Amino acid sequence: MPLSLGELGGAALLLALAFSAWGLVGGAIGAIRRDPRLLTSARMAAFATFLAMTAAIAIMEVALLTDDFSVSYVADTSRVGSPLWVKVVTLWAALEGSLLLWGWLLSGYWALLASVAPNTPLRPWALTTMAGVQLFFVLVPALIAPPFLIVEPVPLDGPGPNPLLQNHWMMAVHPVLMYLGFVGLTVPFSYAMAALITKRPGSEWMASTRRWTLLGWGFLTAANVTGGWWSYEVLGWGGYWAWDPVENVAIMPWLTATAFVHSVQVQERRRMLKAWNLLLIVLTFSLTLLGTFLIRSGVVSSVHAFGDGPVGPYFLAFFVLVMFLSLSLLALRWDQVRDRADLDHPVSREGAFLGTNLLFLALTFAVLLGTLFPLIVEAVSGARVTVGAPFFDQATLPLWMGVLALMGIGPLLPWRRAPDQTLFRNLAWMTGAAVATAAVAAAVGMRGVYPLLTVALAAWNLASLALLLTGALAARLRARRQSVVQAVRRYAHENKRRFGSMIVHFGVVMMAVAIMASSAYRVDEQIRIDLGGSTEWYGYTLTAADRFMDATEARVRAGAVIDVHRDGRRVTTLTPTINVFAGQSMSVPTPDVLYRPLYDIYLNVAANIGPDQEFVVLRAVRSPLVTWIWVAGVVMAIGTVYALTPSAGAARETRTSKTEERAQA
Amino acid sequence: MSVRTAPHPVRSPFARIAAALLIAVGLASGSVAAQPTAGPGAQIELESTVFDVGRQLRCPTCVSESVAGSNSAIATEMRSEIRELLQEGRTEREILALYRERYGDWILLEPPREGIHLWVWALPAIALAAGVGGLALLMVRWTRASRAAEREEPLDPDARRRVREALEESA
Amino acid sequence: MTRIVLIIAVTGALGGLFLYGLLRGEPDRDIRSARLDRPAPTFELPLYARYQAEFGPTFSSAEALGERPMVVNFWASWCGPCYEEAPELQEAWRRHGDEVQFVGVQTQDRGKRTEGRAFIDQFDLGFPNVIDDDSRLGIEYGLFGVPETFFVRSDGTVMYKHAGPVSLDDLETRIAELTAP
Repeated sequence: MPLSLGELGGAALLLALAFSAWGLVGGAIGAIRRDPRLLTSARMAAFATFLAMTAAIAIMEVALLTDDFSVSYVADTSRVGSPLWVKVVTLWAALEGSLLLWGWLLSGYWALLASVAPNTPLRPWALTTMAGVQLFFVLVPALIAPPFLIVEPVPLDGPGPNPLLQNHWMMAVHPVLMYLGFVGLTVPFSYAMAALITKRPGSEWMASTRRWTLLGWGFLTAANVTGGWWSYEVLGWGGYWAWDPVENVAIMPWLTATAFVHSVQVQERRRMLKAWNLLLIVLTFSLTLLGTFLIRSGVVSSVHAFGDGPVGPYFLAFFVLVMFLSLSLLALRWDQVRDRADLDHPVSREGAFLGTNLLFLALTFAVLLGTLFPLIVEAVSGARVTVGAPFFDQATLPLWMGVLALMGIGPLLPWRRAPDQTLFRNLAWMTGAAVATAAVAAAVGMRGVYPLLTVALAAWNLASLALLLTGALAARLRARRQSVVQAVRRYAHENKRRFGSMIVHFGVVMMAVAIMASSAYRVDEQIRIDLGGSTEWYGYTLTAADRFMDATEARVRAGAVIDVHRDGRRVTTLTPTINVFAGQSMSVPTPDVLYRPLYDIYLNVAANIGPDQEFVVLRAVRSPLVTWIWVAGVVMAIGTVYALTPSAGAARETRTSKTEERAQA
Repeated sequence: MSVRTAPHPVRSPFARIAAALLIAVGLASGSVAAQPTAGPGAQIELESTVFDVGRQLRCPTCVSESVAGSNSAIATEMRSEIRELLQEGRTEREILALYRERYGDWILLEPPREGIHLWVWALPAIALAAGVGGLALLMVRWTRASRAAEREEPLDPDARRRVREALEESA
Repeated sequence: MTRIVLIIAVTGALGGLFLYGLLRGEPDRDIRSARLDRPAPTFELPLYARYQAEFGPTFSSAEALGERPMVVNFWASWCGPCYEEAPELQEAWRRHGDEVQFVGVQTQDRGKRTEGRAFIDQFDLGFPNVIDDDSRLGIEYGLFGVPETFFVRSDGTVMYKHAGPVSLDDLETRIAELTAP
């Protein structure tokens, strides 16, 4: 009798379990005994695990695509009638599958690291740590939340994935980016552990993982931005960030990773902050686990909750174990990692980095506290309280402003040295730009401390970027006779990391302005339009041409057909819709958006649409500049990729393909 | 949300159930009809205030959404009530107080600055202050030590750095 | 040594907090009512036809209160647990209907009369049931969902709120408290 897909998949996972266990045990013994044969075999375990996990993923995809409902995950989450792409991404549409994907991506990173990592004294322990993390992420799908159980009798059809997840193609992109970010940051964590174990807490571990860190950070950034856009497109309230617990736990590792990306440079250049950097990477990695625990266990309530499975206690245990082991290791090595007195002047590049670090940590703390506060209060007093978006806005805005301010100064400050004449001249330019912009903004009617401060700081940062670039180019232009374009291109080519960071910072400025405009100047309205009638809305005429209800096998929809005119000319037709997917009871909106550079017109169905009803009720949202948030996300991704590309021309091809990939995301 | 059934002139049984569900996201048409009749400018301003108030209230029947963010029946009804209260001349503060009286502190998305909620406001500030203080202290100590080191070893800074780096490299 | 103690304290505190969260499970909607020991909102709402002979077209809580305590039960025709608790309420009313005023409120139901009538007929509910078309009364009482049952003292203040389906035992206990001298 041929084996069923469920049995094959389960077997693949058990193999992966054995291989990753060997990676951990063999690697540890090999590293302790310095036995090269053991180490090689443990290194091979990485490839073997990757192969086994790939097999498991492939088997699951086959099961999904062939509607093999004898596999429990398929029976629980898939549907015969779903479109092909939905079946493909159903792999990560529910708990078991998404952890399987996580395990697979991790094994990919592990195998990649095993093949490309140079043979340094750090490598054995780094790979062993990877193996330890991998073991957990195989253990979960293999034993705790198994997707490959065999269902008998085999059902004819399943309920299909969560309707919110099959409503938009972003489902295919955002979760994968998030996992790639989380998994990517496992690599610097592993090297940090290796550095502590081998008592080599110098800069070596960071130098080996610089690219990995930046890659993980870039994926996390892209994941957060795409997540925001996804929310905007499907949740129907016209916003992109609600400070929901799921969003908070996704932003926290990003915050600490951002601090880490900056403070590693201090250690590289000045050999300071050893302990601090180790602490940051431990914190970042722990926060990825904490986030997963919080949203998968139902401990905090969230609009995007994944549903609770059996994994909560295991993630909690793993989180506590990782925190305890890595912090204890750090404490054990404290005498080697503590900093010697070494700061020449507080107003220096390293001083600015320290300040930025502090702000990012304060942001992390505020977000973490706000997210956990209801749980803490309930545990202490039994009372039920709420900490919502207004708190997070108010608690974090001053800190974000501080980040923006330091982002402008930092790159202009020299390492080590006290401020000099040039710096004061630069600061004068930046302050002038900031004050002038704020004055103009106030003159055209902008009010409020934060909006004005944001535009001022945006100008401050743009001035800073301009000064950085002219400062770097002036010397070149003087020395060699070349055109400005040539000079910029050459500078960019020779200073990939620095130029990439400038692109990223430019993206941050864009995003800051766009977030400010879209939240401070957003207008919401519930409007009712009689069929055939129209209403004026911010320069546009919205005409309710029709309403429709139709049913296909996969879903039932009802929506309004709204013709949008401007100055008598038809601009577009928007069809905000509500869907109910077959097999699901929840209805999900599909808002329709007119994307415009200055402001979007966002329409969502706000009340029942019936066949006998002669009007439609819509929720209209006008959010200025919101489109630039997504553009800024792409800019940041491009900057990251640029900073990552090796200087050689050979890498050009991978660069463009990666950029395109991100641009699509 | 599970809705049992509702008669509706749609054909297939699945479509009928689904149509009932569609209605669940809407609201009683009576309150939709109750729209303000003032001029368009005033109406937009009123509507924006309705949503501004709604953004500060948690939707009682939703998982984790605000009254402004949710399109559930209760949230929509609460927005109509807020609209009426605003038209009666109640202030934002009064409306929030009214809802707090009914639902307790739970309904406020912005924790009030009193009682146990004070902690959530104070702790980030305390943490930041401690961070700034600690960092300042550390910086003073580091710069002082660095200057003292300079006095003790009158090497030129570059040479000193090279020595230090070499030492650390070997450590 | 102190560092290790510190680490154990931090991880222990976080771990303990999350363990509490896990053991508590999904946060439920049994949130203490802000109305406790404060006057319950009064209301006058339309009644279902079968009660109109006794009370007239509407039911007024102000009239009913005064001498007798009141049990206000909020339900909806789409809510499963409401079907669970309806017979228990009917039985409690049969036993204590003369000491305590029972009233059912159909809320968060968009005033669906047909379904509401079917619900009442299914359990042959003897106590008056009113229709809260726009769910405003529910909002005024501070409802988090249905079913919820409020126990109102004869002086009009709320003694207790029960979230979720209420059992006959619950009702007996609370009614004994309500009617105790």
